[in-house]
Amino acid sequence: MTMHTVAQRAVPALEPARLALVLGGLVFLLMMLLGFLMKASQAELVPLEPQLFYEIMTAHGIGMVGTAGLTGIAVLWHFLGRHLELDERIFWAFLGLFLSGVVAIMGGIFLGGFAAAWTFLYPLPAVSGGVWSPTVAVLYLVGLALVGVGFLLVHLECARALRAGWGGLSRALAWPLLLRGAQEPVPPPTVVAAAAVTIFNTLGLVFGAAVIVISILEILLPGVSLDPLLAKNMIYFFGHVFINATIYMAVIAVYEIIPLYTRRSWKTTRIFAGAWSVVLFFVMAVYPHHLLQDTVMPGWALVVGQVLSYGSAVPLVAVTTFGLLAYLYRSGARLDLPASLLVLGVAGWTAGVMPAWVDGIIVVNKVMHNTLWVPGHFHMYLILGQVAMVWGTLLWLARGSSGSGLGRSDRLLFGLYLLGGAGLTLGFLVAGASSVPRRWAVHDPAWTVHDLPGVFFALLILVAACGFFAKALPGLVAAGEERRA
Amino acid sequence: MQELVLTVSLLAIAAVAGAFLHVLRGLALQPRASAEADGLARLRQRILWCAGLVGVVIAVATLLPWPHAVPAGHGVVPVHVRGSVWAWELDRTSLPVGVPVVFHVTSSDVNHGFGVFDPKGRLLFQTQAMPGWVNKVAWTFTEPGRYRVLCLEYCGLVHHGMTAELEVGSTS
Repeated sequence: MTMHTVAQRAVPALEPARLALVLGGLVFLLMMLLGFLMKASQAELVPLEPQLFYEIMTAHGIGMVGTAGLTGIAVLWHFLGRHLELDERIFWAFLGLFLSGVVAIMGGIFLGGFAAAWTFLYPLPAVSGGVWSPTVAVLYLVGLALVGVGFLLVHLECARALRAGWGGLSRALAWPLLLRGAQEPVPPPTVVAAAAVTIFNTLGLVFGAAVIVISILEILLPGVSLDPLLAKNMIYFFGHVFINATIYMAVIAVYEIIPLYTRRSWKTTRIFAGAWSVVLFFVMAVYPHHLLQDTVMPGWALVVGQVLSYGSAVPLVAVTTFGLLAYLYRSGARLDLPASLLVLGVAGWTAGVMPAWVDGIIVVNKVMHNTLWVPGHFHMYLILGQVAMVWGTLLWLARGSSGSGLGRSDRLLFGLYLLGGAGLTLGFLVAGASSVPRRWAVHDPAWTVHDLPGVFFALLILVAACGFFAKALPGLVAAGEERRA
Repeated sequence: MQELVLTVSLLAIAAVAGAFLHVLRGLALQPRASAEADGLARLRQRILWCAGLVGVVIAVATLLPWPHAVPAGHGVVPVHVRGSVWAWELDRTSLPVGVPVVFHVTSSDVNHGFGVFDPKGRLLFQTQAMPGWVNKVAWTFTEPGRYRVLCLEYCGLVHHGMTAELEVGSTS
């Protein structure tokens, strides 16, 4: 067994994970522009036909989820590669599959008119009311499958490396430390997080792949069909696990970068190992909270969905959030823009979880499900959470840790992003509490009062994000050239 | 309900923001002593216990009685609802006040969401309409008026046009 604990491995000339982060940053900007257009259309400022609106909605949803996955796995790969030997060819293959999938997905949407939303809720891809052809639906689903296979490859390589480096996934999860109170050496937080994400995201992807294949077969072969309730379970298991994995992968950047500022290394303690083991099971078991309005589901499953919806927030708040605050407090850290965005990422994630678990209560869900309350909470833990962590990582890769605090332009960009993110997401929550439905291309006149401020706040986010990207790009290009030289 | 949910959520978000602001203000203070580190560990333990306790209270308070229970027997008004792209088919749209109504909701094609809004536009309840399955949801209307049914599960290009109306009378 070869132990690779804290040794920093050499970074290759053209690191694919770094390239993935740059591509991800660029796609985030494009997807934010699409989000802005949808809000402007609902506010009746930009005329969009419903068909184009729903195509944009599908592209925005799958684009954001896919890019969150791309950037999350790039963060995981980059930092895990400092502890373990990973086969870089796998990540290149992933990037090839990912980009091929994106071409098929975007072709299906904007050339073929596919608009079944990113969740492709069975059997909607096959039943379009004559709007898109079966071929186009297959093209979209094949694109998803290509992307999924790419993610699966990376996770399998991570699993191989974790087993080779730590003698098994249970040791990488620090279970000897958790169960017996001692382990030598103790895996660093990055290894523990990578092991947990690798397990649950692999399972999620397998279920996603299965439902995609059945959806394709149903379109191609008349007579093949799947129980819609089973399909819904599979889709939400995959979707819930995947989107959560994007955040749990991105938080690895916090474990790795923040200690450079606080000069207090983030350690794997018994409670840390326990929290990640709880996350490993809860992330998978909690998905029925997406089916709380399907009363034909077994009652016990809905109870599990509600109870674990609350329970999932506890390890986050008690370990990652509390841990970050404890590491920061009285540390003397001078937070520059990358570090500020990483801290914001954990704060936004934690804040977004609050309205999310409230929505996981069945009686609340009856009046909040599929209103704008839902995009309210997931935009909060994505824009101010996962995406903020990705911007922080990109800027840190470009600029390093300056330790000089926030400059004037950095402060301005950070303020715009925070104001835009908070304004947009709180506006969604207020609109949800006012019963405005989500995923409606045409809004009643009474609802536009909620849409107009959203346009303004979305614009602030877009401007700030362009600023982050513009600030990161020269540093990333220069760093790449330096490594090649 | 919606106001309470919004208030609780905003308070929880404010508490998170407050904790971060407090810590960020204390960044430059003198490094903590080990005794204080022990205090932090105790604080975390207290947070965990409190979170567990609050979780149990919320679960009991919101799951009993079972939120999806539907009444049966005489006096219950059944309404059969079928969604299909992009219209609602209901076997009755005139409903009484003060009598339990049980909606039996299904779909003939894709997933839809059966959401009923009061005359002021406030969502009262919802359930999913799914092909091959019948979800049941019960409601007792307390005010007469014209209620709207909106589709709350994205179902294709005329999703926003999939609406219907219920006329709730003034007597039972």
